[in-house]
Amino acid sequence: MGVKYTLDELIVFRAAQEIRDGEIVVIGQGIPMAAGVLARKTHAPNSLIVTEAGLVGIDPFKVPLHIADTSCTRGYSYGCDMFDIFTTLVNRGYVDVAFLGVGQIDKYGNVNSSYIGDPDDYEMRLTGAGGAPEFAGHSKRSVYTMSGGEFVEKLDYFTTPGYVDGGNSRYEAGMPEGSGPSALITTKGVFEFDEKTKEMYLAGIHPGVTVEEIREQVPWDLRLADPLEVTKLPSEDEIGIIRAFAPDISVGRSLYVELLTRRVLDVLAKAAEREKGVQT
Amino acid sequence: MYEGGSPSEGALKKFMDRDKRMSGAEAVARFVNDGESFVFANCLTGMPLALVHDLIRSGKKNLMLFQQGGIEEVDLLVSAGSIDRLAVAYNFRMGGKRVTPPLDRALKEGSLQVEEMTNFTLLAMMKAGAMGYSFMPVLRGIQVTDVVKKQGFLGDACFAEVKDPFGGEDVLVVKGYCPDFALMHVQRADKAGNGQLWGAMINSKWAALAPERIILSTEEIVDTDVIRSAPHLTIAPAHKVCAVVHCPWGAHPSELAGFYDYDMVFRALYFASLNNPEAMKTWMDEWIHGVSDRNGYIERYVDKFGKEAQEAIKARPLKSIPADYGYSFAPNWDEKGYSDKFGMNLDEFTHFMEEKGILREG
Repeated sequence: MGVKYTLDELIVFRAAQEIRDGEIVVIGQGIPMAAGVLARKTHAPNSLIVTEAGLVGIDPFKVPLHIADTSCTRGYSYGCDMFDIFTTLVNRGYVDVAFLGVGQIDKYGNVNSSYIGDPDDYEMRLTGAGGAPEFAGHSKRSVYTMSGGEFVEKLDYFTTPGYVDGGNSRYEAGMPEGSGPSALITTKGVFEFDEKTKEMYLAGIHPGVTVEEIREQVPWDLRLADPLEVTKLPSEDEIGIIRAFAPDISVGRSLYVELLTRRVLDVLAKAAEREKGVQT
Repeated sequence: MYEGGSPSEGALKKFMDRDKRMSGAEAVARFVNDGESFVFANCLTGMPLALVHDLIRSGKKNLMLFQQGGIEEVDLLVSAGSIDRLAVAYNFRMGGKRVTPPLDRALKEGSLQVEEMTNFTLLAMMKAGAMGYSFMPVLRGIQVTDVVKKQGFLGDACFAEVKDPFGGEDVLVVKGYCPDFALMHVQRADKAGNGQLWGAMINSKWAALAPERIILSTEEIVDTDVIRSAPHLTIAPAHKVCAVVHCPWGAHPSELAGFYDYDMVFRALYFASLNNPEAMKTWMDEWIHGVSDRNGYIERYVDKFGKEAQEAIKARPLKSIPADYGYSFAPNWDEKGYSDKFGMNLDEFTHFMEEKGILREG
């Protein structure tokens, strides 16, 4: 019996394996940040974590709420700005990996982070594009993590380019030759992209997950790697690092909201008591 | 709003007063007009939220916002009816499908028009404007996406494709924009408005330089000598700043390096109101309309949650090692009136000029 873990911790751990030592890694908020920090504390100590806020070589104190908060700015090696990141680093080809969380993804690894439903009559507006389109478009490779998102046949809104229409279409559209998404890690498995067709296939599954479960979530005829990799589980040390750095991520989004709600109710109760005290 | 191009075509205003201190209410009353466009010269961190509250209390309307990225200000401005057009790259969201925040409601009702941008292209619009260029090349990969293909309210005054005059591949460009004003919060400034900001710089430099005028709020007002000792930290130069608002805790509940952390519990209270217009109104009545300025807001905060809640998010210091602007400070003429560089004293120097015939009768 190994150490107990949560599914979000497993994604963080598996995603961290995608970072190689010495790489320049652009990191988005949430799970990607936890994965980047874990990689730096384990097998990739010489990798450089970059955020689009203009922060290069950060060593965050704890998992930040967003890519610029003061836990990120406690010490970093190069302070530039967002424009510099996208031009002097991304456009010049210095970025090895862009690490991004995704909401809706299609079989060529194109991503929607703008609208759920028809944009003209939508169900929900998401955060909007942020930095994802240029990061995924122009970094050497991009690694996606998805916890709670969905696979679709056609995106409701095309925010971020993966392999566009498959084959060579990405490169014909002006993105760097050989670049593109290399892996998607979800709560159930690991997906990669066919070298020629660029279609997403199942490369590995997490322990205890069945291929059928995964097929149910995927609207196209999903091809499988042979053999399928079974995801290695994190060690006690690795879980320790994740939980110390990013308990917000370990617990998962809905339980995080529950914890926060409890805390708010507690604070409000105290405030009400204080008000009573003032009145009497 | 001035739409890029040669600076001589744009209305250039300079703000040269030595003392521009005033309240936030006065600043927005004097320097914001209905229908104007603006940008925040902060993104995500250190947001000028006190100024946002002043803007909402002022009742100014039909404003257009270039929004790089943020957490609460868009939903507040939408709820207040301050903005009716929004060019946006990123807006924080919480709660999934269970929550329909004011931004979502306004877009559906049609009371707000939107233009979807990316972080880089929105900033490129500002940088082009700031530099006096009418357009700016951007990264081509996004050309296949709906960000470029679907037009928002800016229509075709947004993206275009041009030929590389030097024979390379076609280039995707964005139009340059100079909004009318910026709202900006910084750690320190002098009375004239030399605003110094440090930490994550994100969009600050270009969003401060693109607009015609900056309304600046600052945690501290410092002597100009402090500014002059660290000029590399000045991001908002005084000649662009029309108003200086001394405003401790001016970015709360967002965070500011050297001063305070973000206030997650307070934010959660705000998030809890987003889904319901009535709850949102109650929140805004309590924290915006129920107080007259940021001092009143902080008093209410301390009354409600206690001094200890405020203390808990105060920053502990982590000082940057100061840059040394040192120099020998050797004068042209030493205490004996001798110049080592010229090998003569001041009298000999005067004589030399006399001899060469360049001194004229006074």
